Amino acid sequence: MKKKLILLAMVVLFMGTVSVLDAGGFSLFSKKKKKAEAVTRVNVDPTKPGWQQDTKEVELDWYVNFGWFQGKWGRDGASQAMTEATGVDINYMMPVGDGGQKINTMLASNTLPDLVTIGWWEGAYRDLIEGGYVYALDELAKKYDPYFFEVASPEKLGWYKEADGHTYGYPNASYTKADIEEGKDSITSNYSFLVRKDIYEALGKPNMSTKEGFLNTLKKAKEMYPKVGGQPLIPIGFQEFGTGESSLGGYLQDYLAIPLEKDGRAYNRREDNEYKEWLKVFRKVNALGLISTDVFVDKRQQIEDKMTQGRYFAILYPHIDALQPLTNIYNNNPERMYISVDGPKNSMQEEHTFPGPAISGWTVTFITKNCKDPEKAIRFLDYMMGDEGQKAAFFGKEGLSWEMKNGKPEVLAEVKEMKTKNRTEYDQVHGGDYMNWMFMDNAMQERLWPAKLEGPTAQVRSYTKGKIQPRFKYERWDPSGQEKEAIIKQKVDLRWNSTLPKLIISESDEEFDKIWNSYVKYAEKMKYSTILDYQTNKMTENAIKLGLN
Amino acid sequence: MKKKGSKREEGGIKKVSKLKSDLKKQKWLHIFVLMGVIWMIIFSYIPMGGIVISFKNYRVIDTIWSAPWVGLENFRDIFMDDMFLPIMKNTIGISVIGLVIGFPLPIIFALMLNELTNVKMKKFSQTISYLPHFLSWVVLGGMMINWLGETGIFNDIMQNFGIAETGKVWLADKTKFWGIAISSGLWKELGWNSIIYLAAIAGIDPGLYEAARIDGAGKLQQIWHITLPSIKGIVVLFLVLSVSNVLNVNWEQMLVLQNPLTLETSEVLDTYVYKMGLINGRFSFATAIGLFKSLVAFVLLITANKVTKKLNDTSIL
Amino acid sequence: MIRSRGEKIFDTINTTIMLLFCISIIYPIWYIVVLSFNDGMDAMRGGIYWWPRVFTIETYKTVLGASGIMTSYGVTIAKTIVGVATHVFFIGLVAYGLSKEDLRFRKIYMGLGLVTMFFNGGLIPNFLLINKLGLLNSFWVFILPCLFNMFEMIVMMNFFKAIPKSIEESAYIDGANYLIIFFKIVLPLSMPVVATIGLWNGVWQWNDFFSGVIYINNPDLQPIQTFLYKIISQAGASQMTANLPASAMQAKTTSESVKLATMILTTLPIMLVYPFLQKYFVKGMMVGATKG
Repeated sequence: MKKKLILLAMVVLFMGTVSVLDAGGFSLFSKKKKKAEAVTRVNVDPTKPGWQQDTKEVELDWYVNFGWFQGKWGRDGASQAMTEATGVDINYMMPVGDGGQKINTMLASNTLPDLVTIGWWEGAYRDLIEGGYVYALDELAKKYDPYFFEVASPEKLGWYKEADGHTYGYPNASYTKADIEEGKDSITSNYSFLVRKDIYEALGKPNMSTKEGFLNTLKKAKEMYPKVGGQPLIPIGFQEFGTGESSLGGYLQDYLAIPLEKDGRAYNRREDNEYKEWLKVFRKVNALGLISTDVFVDKRQQIEDKMTQGRYFAILYPHIDALQPLTNIYNNNPERMYISVDGPKNSMQEEHTFPGPAISGWTVTFITKNCKDPEKAIRFLDYMMGDEGQKAAFFGKEGLSWEMKNGKPEVLAEVKEMKTKNRTEYDQVHGGDYMNWMFMDNAMQERLWPAKLEGPTAQVRSYTKGKIQPRFKYERWDPSGQEKEAIIKQKVDLRWNSTLPKLIISESDEEFDKIWNSYVKYAEKMKYSTILDYQTNKMTENAIKLGLN
Repeated sequence: MKKKGSKREEGGIKKVSKLKSDLKKQKWLHIFVLMGVIWMIIFSYIPMGGIVISFKNYRVIDTIWSAPWVGLENFRDIFMDDMFLPIMKNTIGISVIGLVIGFPLPIIFALMLNELTNVKMKKFSQTISYLPHFLSWVVLGGMMINWLGETGIFNDIMQNFGIAETGKVWLADKTKFWGIAISSGLWKELGWNSIIYLAAIAGIDPGLYEAARIDGAGKLQQIWHITLPSIKGIVVLFLVLSVSNVLNVNWEQMLVLQNPLTLETSEVLDTYVYKMGLINGRFSFATAIGLFKSLVAFVLLITANKVTKKLNDTSIL
Repeated sequence: MIRSRGEKIFDTINTTIMLLFCISIIYPIWYIVVLSFNDGMDAMRGGIYWWPRVFTIETYKTVLGASGIMTSYGVTIAKTIVGVATHVFFIGLVAYGLSKEDLRFRKIYMGLGLVTMFFNGGLIPNFLLINKLGLLNSFWVFILPCLFNMFEMIVMMNFFKAIPKSIEESAYIDGANYLIIFFKIVLPLSMPVVATIGLWNGVWQWNDFFSGVIYINNPDLQPIQTFLYKIISQAGASQMTANLPASAMQAKTTSESVKLATMILTTLPIMLVYPFLQKYFVKGMMVGATKG
């Protein structure tokens, strides 16, 4: 026994020593030093784009934190055109699968490459800035390429401005308020409440937006069509329950047009009465045996399979996630195609409010302090964000993929055909259509070169037009990372996620109320109000940033 | 002239010289072992220093040294969590029952395999038996959701034999979760886990069996008196190790098979840590849990080893 | 050899149970094979049980035709061969040393090793170490950090302990040192455990995808599992651009079908290699030892 204690003591001493060594500069656990500033290579004329004046050939490593991206720069016409124009050759680096661990290890060891693109919602966003890993774009632009300010949208730069007054990352797929105003008739959302067209029409296109209408339609559907291809019909389906709220959380709240703020404060949508009443409707639906147990068990793959088999009558599901089944049905069984119809509405039957494109955009790109040539990098960004870069990214290489016709770029006929017939080859040879999406400006593209809606999602997309609600004020208002509030929110959310299904399968309204009240009590115990305070503060900040009232 | 020292000094000198001669005799052995120790120092002990982050609030932008100390806060976070008790109950429950049922089975399987007289059948069964080990839970879980679903093949079979109710979604039933998780885990690893026992049985001198048969011992008696005692060492080793592993449940399996209706019985330590910790890059939290599990496992190992030492008179260490 | 009735009954029961068990495994695997040879989009329509409905090798073509797959196979084969050989010998030597109960400081060595079995710094400290050692993006990151495993060492040690001391004693008296004894006597007598550890480590090296994900950026050094994992996540890409991708229209492969095909491709090599190892799991390895 004594020997064991000695052993343990030795081990502890050992571990302690190693930690100490770290402090002594042994630098096992410490980071690389930051590079010294380089001398300006080319003094540019600020009235002209910087990229046109700096023709040095540079290769940059670009880490894109998305495992599904399979781009390879230089193989396709689009990226070739971009290299020709700027002299920059890119080496894309992607993680395998989910990028979370990869970027964390790079941060911990300071082995980031020249450029980094991540989602705006990712924890790494804060880490990159707070850890001092990235350059301020405005500083780089002032020093090396003032024309950058002509191409960059001031609203977007302002939106991503940090407390120190600098902007570090620039977004893609970002829409300013003006963009949304202009695009009112063309902007679409990913939301949908899908029903089988044939059954819906056979039932007489009933109104499913009232509580009785919803309930009765599902009942009738089940009575008239108890089986589909030998298997039971599933009257109503939802998103995967898994660890989230499925489509019965925020998604349903959006359908019910429940506001995000009330009286200048962030509103606790979850405890809204309209929402609660509709959850009770779903409880009744379940009590009538119209919600089959598998909707709680199925994961995404099973849901997609069942949709392809046409087993759902109705499903509250975003069409963007249903792309494969919808395409499948469109190609093989168009008679039982799913269409988007009006879903649950609040008691005042207000129109649905769908979240639309945001000013936060989708991903944000940074120039890291490890960049071997930040001078070139900022000029490269200048190119990518401007018309020429957008044209190349969307159309491809001139002559190879497109030509000018009547002053407008037009895609060559045979290229268009390749795009629909053999997308993989199109991607590899032409690479347009924003295959390199990191700076894509959809608003600009829709304004200059609008595309037509066609294919399996034509109807579901156009259904959402005009129902988009800009939510600039509420963007990025959730606590994130390891902030105290983030942990509270996570715990309450986890509790809510397991409460939701219980509410649906509860056997009576009384039981429902009991379960509901116990959740509310828990949220109070955990001081959920601090989350609302946090959101309210962020909302006020955002309003100031955007110049709203 | 050397003064004659006390008996103790003489004993001491004797001890040192014995040490020297032992080391000389065992020179090669020490070299072998030291190779391992050096490896351990580099690849195990140096990173082990990072365990300190369980007492800190570490973010990837910090260095391990510069991250602020928070004492036992990370541990408090998990122990004070209201989910802690149900999670521990599930983790230990699934593990222990899985152990009690699942530990003897690979041994029995190895014995049965060994006794097959048809050589083709033996090779065939052996090869087939370990295949499920290579299936990923991601795919296996998806298949199980289908097979155990309302219209799945399991219900079909049950209905044919008149056992089960119509169209039950088995994975939605929280009382059945443990059973499903344990049996599917067993099925997957049975063949693979039996390999080590087959190896042990292969080392038994066939002459012993001959002698026993001549003495008139039947199959079962041979197994009881020869095979089992011969592999006792390995069996005890794995038993002790399995006991110490009790907080480690296959979390990939749990994550795939669990759903909101069964969380009360399907949430285990690692899935909770994954959801609460790793997803947000809360390395300190995750490391603290890891440290907790390590301590428990370590203590269990030492205890189990002591117990088997008393019962068996041999230590596996 | 005349078998008693008891033995015959035992054998019948035994064989029957084995057969049932095998069927319970064969069907699911057959199901996976069938699905992997079926058009992915068609498979989503369900109803496939015994045979592919729309036979296609498109999924396999996508996976096997992916550029770089041959390099990845090469990397995996190399890392498995080198890794297993070094691993088994390394552990074997350490285990041999520790199998001598009278080894000096044995308890200390064992204690040091035991601690490493349980206590681990986690992802970040390990990554920092690999980085400092310059092993990032190097083939040796597949070999060096996996040279040793305390648990496997204990297993081997127990096997070595079971070898009768008399054999070694006589060799030692004849003038051999421990190195020679290990290679000429102990190792040949321990083929079952060597085969087992070799198999465990071989399977581990073959299936390892994590090292490739975390430590390797260079696509030419990615082992096959990392490569396949990448293909799966790419196949599952629902292009999140606002524009509708026409690609979804003619995809015959879905991420699900790719997952299944890669599982088959993973299991196949093991199935082919195992028969060569089976002979080590046969009765009677020690026969020569006691008699000779």
